[in-house]
Amino acid sequence: MLLDPELRARLDRLSMMTHGRVRSVYTGRHASRHLGESLDFADYREYVPGDDFRKIDHQLWARLGQVLVRRFEAEEDLTVTVMLDATASMGMYGKFDSARRIAAIISYLALSSGDRVAPVLIGGSDRSIVRGPIGRHRSVWPQIERWLEGLEPRGAAPLAPVIRGVVGPTAGRGAVVVISDLLDAEWERALDGAALGVGGVIAHVLAPEELEPTMIGDLRLVDVETGATVEASTSSSVLDEYAAAVQRFVDGVALRSKRGGLDHVVVPVGPDDAERFLRRLVESAAVT
Amino acid sequence: MNLLAPAALALGAFAVPLIVLYMLRSRRQRVEVSSVLLWERADQSVTSAVPWQRLEITPLLLLQLLILALLVFALARPFFSQESLLGPHTVLVLDTSGSMAAAGRFDLAADRAVSLASDTSDANLVSVVSAGPTARVVASFLRTPDAVRDAIASLAVTGGPADLDGAVRLGRSLATPDRPTNLVILSDGSSSPLATEPVVDADHIRFSDTADNISISGFSVEPSAEGVVRVFVNVTNHTGVPADVQLRYLVNGLPSGSIELEVGALSDAARTVPIDAGAGDLVVVERVGESDGLAMDDTASLVVAGGADRGVAITGDGSPFLEVLVEIAPGFVTSTPEAADVLIVDGGPMPEIDRPTWLIRPETPPPGIEFSEIATNLGATFQAPGEPILDSVDLSGLVVAEAQVAETFSWLPIVRSGDVPLVLLGEVDGHRVVYFTFDVARSNLPVQIGFPIMGTRVLEWLGGASAGSTETAVAGTPIQVSPPAGANTVIRRDGEIVAELGDPVLAFDDTGAPGVYSVEYVTDTGAIAGPTAVRSFDRNESIAGSRDISVVSPRPATASTGSIVREWAPSVIAVVIAVMLFEWWYAHRRSGVRSIEVAS
Repeated sequence: MLLDPELRARLDRLSMMTHGRVRSVYTGRHASRHLGESLDFADYREYVPGDDFRKIDHQLWARLGQVLVRRFEAEEDLTVTVMLDATASMGMYGKFDSARRIAAIISYLALSSGDRVAPVLIGGSDRSIVRGPIGRHRSVWPQIERWLEGLEPRGAAPLAPVIRGVVGPTAGRGAVVVISDLLDAEWERALDGAALGVGGVIAHVLAPEELEPTMIGDLRLVDVETGATVEASTSSSVLDEYAAAVQRFVDGVALRSKRGGLDHVVVPVGPDDAERFLRRLVESAAVT
Repeated sequence: MNLLAPAALALGAFAVPLIVLYMLRSRRQRVEVSSVLLWERADQSVTSAVPWQRLEITPLLLLQLLILALLVFALARPFFSQESLLGPHTVLVLDTSGSMAAAGRFDLAADRAVSLASDTSDANLVSVVSAGPTARVVASFLRTPDAVRDAIASLAVTGGPADLDGAVRLGRSLATPDRPTNLVILSDGSSSPLATEPVVDADHIRFSDTADNISISGFSVEPSAEGVVRVFVNVTNHTGVPADVQLRYLVNGLPSGSIELEVGALSDAARTVPIDAGAGDLVVVERVGESDGLAMDDTASLVVAGGADRGVAITGDGSPFLEVLVEIAPGFVTSTPEAADVLIVDGGPMPEIDRPTWLIRPETPPPGIEFSEIATNLGATFQAPGEPILDSVDLSGLVVAEAQVAETFSWLPIVRSGDVPLVLLGEVDGHRVVYFTFDVARSNLPVQIGFPIMGTRVLEWLGGASAGSTETAVAGTPIQVSPPAGANTVIRRDGEIVAELGDPVLAFDDTGAPGVYSVEYVTDTGAIAGPTAVRSFDRNESIAGSRDISVVSPRPATASTGSIVREWAPSVIAVVIAVMLFEWWYAHRRSGVRSIEVAS
């Protein structure tokens, strides 16, 4: 069981917020780019035949002599695309277990908010993209949970094209949550692709061993995904250089995410990592 | 600085393989990581096929080369030589005589001895001999400076003379065949040359600090015919200026009076004072006023004698001076020759010695002595130091018209004029005999200030101490004890217990400290009072002179005994350990840069 009943009860009291306006074919709780039937006034326009007479502003007609109709914001549902990185690099240092729990939290949170959840797996199979069970009711949760529990990280998949491939066709129609270590040469393009949605979250999962390596000696480092090698001696100066590179990487991801209207949360793998992730979301008002 | 094992420097060649190791490409351990994206800047891949790489001078390489250099240096055993008086076995002879109490000489000597002992080791053993009134070995063959320091700390300055001859003999007796033994004599020097002088294989460290000193050089009791106790006090001014000296008397600890004496520069002044005291009372005289350079001789004690009088008879020519002497000598009365306990034979034929006898220039010599000739116009040039009969008596002004030139091996001359004995002590048929080789009436002895004291001492030595009488002698003189069977002997000095002797003993010799010693025998049925004895500060020590003792230093003959080899290796090893720890820390340190800020 990925989420215990106590956590699920907490998630029931929370709901996701988006920074932009949602475009959707379903009516829901989130502000839409379509103007519709909600109580929130949006704008005026000139009357054209066929408009609903009830929306004519008679006071303005009397004062200005011009027939204007009131326009209202439509309330539409939110599609939350949860993109879980299951490439081989996520299988190291327990990162995938943390990522899976975070995906479960996001998915359940969206379902309990009445949002539509579309889980997508990056890597983890012979194909680059694998879609999970889609739904907008809590009744879908058991299917999603089973699907998540059955995943194993393996293989390699380029992040940027996959994210663009998923988000691009539905740009502006939903929130995007990317759960990944972003250890990809084109991580910047991947973030730009995620920014095509109407906001979202970048859950940046990194292991302590990646943040502060404890390896000692003369090493041949082999990339678990690409097989590329780097020879390094873990001298003090080398470790200093690595630490600076990590710092630049994390800072770069944070800046890129902010520009794309995405919340960036670093999730160091460890006890209660998912809990801390949820707390960060609440603190950043991405979840209320 | 030299090296004991210079061949070890060849180990410095290990620097070559160390550098080669740095140039060789290491066989790297294969480690899978999630991505090499962040490691690319640290890439040290060598594309060349050759198995070595360009040498990179890193701090670690420099530190390891430094460690190697220090290790090689330590193995080469660097050392330096330090001059020292210590040899393979050194006997420190520490003078504890009364003069060493002057101007802090003893403290300086003890400090110097401790300083010398800092080089004590298994290679440089040290023994400590005390040169007090009785020479004794304090500790032998010590191997650590602390042990020597403890031995020296157990010593205290005494009020008696220094038996330097005995101390040197004891030091020599500690020599062993396997170790050359040298002596270091820490002393102000004896007043007269040592019998063994020049002392071979020895060094003398002389302590000659001086300070003004005014001493109580004589203190005795003289009961008058009327039964009034009078005390005689003699004060000596050793300074170059006259002094007004105030003295205070205490009887059994209570003030009994005071007097003031004017004492000229380098002179004596004496006074006889009636004291309200009786037999057995403790009388103390002490100098009042500013302390001087030698405090121990500013106080003197005695116990008023009592008990039955002993008879003294004078035969032969006789002399009014001798008759007066017998009258004033406490504890002695004039008697008939038949009943006398002590016989004074003034000239005439040699009598049969059947009791203690004072012989004054008899016509024939006593047994054990031969006359060779008569010497004329003699002056005293030597009086035995520490001799109880001569305590507080200065015979430097004694002149005699003529004296028998006595030759003897069994009698002890205590006053001499060159080689001519003037006063000898001996024993005939088990009886003590004092032998004056000159006619008292034809000398200036009766007008010497110390004559009554010396005469009384002669009578006391001959007649022995009567019951309850007090024996007074120079500090360091043993006290005769004769405990009943099964009794413990308790010795008190000035009221404080200083010794409890369980085994049968005949004498107690730890009497270096001046004061009144009372002996008590403790039996199962109770305590029995023993003799009371007074040990006084030796007046000769009050002079606090000093002189160089002639020695033959061991260094010119065996140069190696004059220096201590000190190796640097322990210090170098300590530095090596410190550098190794630093090298380890440097190689494994975590700098603050590596604390990644993960909050975003």
